Amino acid sequence: MAKKTNLFEHESLQDKDAIVQYLKALTEGIEKGEVLLSDDDEKVTLNPTPFGRFKLKATRSKKVQELRLKISWIGHEDDGERAQPLHIQPSSA
Amino acid sequence: MRILPPLYETLRFLLLDLQKQLQLLSDALENQEPGLLDKSLGRVDYIDNAHLTLLERAGRQYGRRTNEHSDAQQRIVIQSYEHIAHSLKALSGQLQQMAHQLKHIGSLKLIRKKNVFSALQDLNKGLSLITAAIESDSLTLAVDICRLQLRIDKACSAQLDKYKKRLRQGISPPQSDALLQACFILKDIDLMGDALLRVGEGIMSANLGQFIQIDRFRALEESLSVLDGIRRQDLNIHSMGETKSGCTISGVSASSESEDRILAIFKQGKKTKLQEEKARIEKWHQKYPGIAPEVYAYQKQGDKAALLYEYLTGQTFNKLLLAKQSKPLKKGLDALFATLNKIWEQTAIDEVHPAHFMKQLQRRLPQVYEVHPDFQLKGLKIGNVKQVSLETLVEEAQKFEKRLQVPKAVYIHGDFNTDNILYDPLEEQISFIDLHRSEYLDYVQDLSVLMVSFYRIANFDPTVRKRIVQAMQASYAFATEYAAKIDDRDVELRLALGLARSLITSTRFVLDKEHAKSMHFKGRLLIEQLLQLSDDELHHYKIPKELFHD
Repeated sequence: MAKKTNLFEHESLQDKDAIVQYLKALTEGIEKGEVLLSDDDEKVTLNPTPFGRFKLKATRSKKVQELRLKISWIGHEDDGERAQPLHIQPSSA
Repeated sequence: MRILPPLYETLRFLLLDLQKQLQLLSDALENQEPGLLDKSLGRVDYIDNAHLTLLERAGRQYGRRTNEHSDAQQRIVIQSYEHIAHSLKALSGQLQQMAHQLKHIGSLKLIRKKNVFSALQDLNKGLSLITAAIESDSLTLAVDICRLQLRIDKACSAQLDKYKKRLRQGISPPQSDALLQACFILKDIDLMGDALLRVGEGIMSANLGQFIQIDRFRALEESLSVLDGIRRQDLNIHSMGETKSGCTISGVSASSESEDRILAIFKQGKKTKLQEEKARIEKWHQKYPGIAPEVYAYQKQGDKAALLYEYLTGQTFNKLLLAKQSKPLKKGLDALFATLNKIWEQTAIDEVHPAHFMKQLQRRLPQVYEVHPDFQLKGLKIGNVKQVSLETLVEEAQKFEKRLQVPKAVYIHGDFNTDNILYDPLEEQISFIDLHRSEYLDYVQDLSVLMVSFYRIANFDPTVRKRIVQAMQASYAFATEYAAKIDDRDVELRLALGLARSLITSTRFVLDKEHAKSMHFKGRLLIEQLLQLSDDELHHYKIPKELFHD
């Protein structure tokens, strides 16, 4: 079975309040362990795990100020093999 | 047409071989000698060679400078040689096709018809006129060549009709196959007529100094007859571009005078558009004399028409904006606002005609999506936060718009973008062009279109962008001043809707993706802002000036 990479992309112009609202919606989702993103055509659900990689990048030029935020969680979709412990503890007699 | 010996010589060789190719094919048909078809096909290689030689020589001519002719004139003449050679080669290709088909049709009887012979004869006549037409300075022979296409087309259609009639009678398969093939052959002959027309147009273009099509030329010829005392031979015409509605515009000037002095503007296009434009111009003469150009002549033919009108001096605001100095733009805007003040004062009527900005937007959305499919987004959801689709937003905004106060209607331009307004700094005079959409409406319509047409300009030089912001701010300031004068309280709200409408719909003319996105986003944001206003906030709303910046 081919592994599918779901893609969701969005871009718009928003006032400050709206941007804060979107960020809040995202943090709430992370807390809950489920971030829902959809625009009818595309739909992606992320399930943040307890540990994620968090990357911030800020730039400032004459014209643009930019903040890039990247959070990645390594997928943990049902993976039979990895679930097997590699080290088998000797059973205590 | 000017003779460029290296090109003309090759063209004559090409032509001679083409005439042989045609003659051999006609002979094969007339004398029922299929063997001649191969001989006809034998000419194709020679024609290909001559064509290649001509292209190569033309390439070398481009770099060559002459003392008596400008680069532009030289270019047009070389292009005309290329164009003629190309059309002749196309004609040869069609003859080649026809020879192949004749070899397989079995019986030539079906093709040996009066109409076919007459078409081939006309073709031959056309080819034999070409050298004389090129060598002549007058356009008569070139026009004659063009006219032959009509006759060829007629003969072919008449014959095709006969075939069709027989096909309909229900005949046995071998015969119907042959008839079908005969139909294809007639189509080929028809296309040869088109190629001949292109040749005639190429010769005319070289003589007139611009590429021109015969339909346009006829209309021009008739229109110019009104310019007293000027014969067509004494006139130069040069292309000045095309409008978004598909009309072509040319400047007409006298050869004797310097090239800059344009006598008139010649515009050709769809009859409905030009008829409307003429009527609206005349209306402007009544409402506010002196602002619109004078119409010298109007001609119609079929669904096409041509307008010849006064050439207005001055520069478009587009040019003023991109000019080196900023002073002419400033003076131009001052003159424009003063003129608008007067026009609106004089033409205001006791009726209210809302602009229905959101309806205008709704109607044009499909065209926007055609150019920018990625703008067509359905509702967005991020967690619990939702954003509705633009369509939904526009529908809600339509209800919002209905609640707004609209002042008395004034006579507006209707397509008030920077290209359609001229300012003459010497006379300090404003003129309007392209008036086919003038009507009584909310004045905010013209102002919002104007502001967005500044923003839309795809020039990202920081100085230009700064000037664009200034021009938009000045227009905005004028809008609010005028509104205060007539006690128009909802001006900010209607202007915001108007801007949103134009920002979003204009993206269909903006191919720079980032620029288009920026306009689209701004348009949407404006609508969102308006819909979120509480009743209290409504009357204090101010359009965020940040939006004028890139």
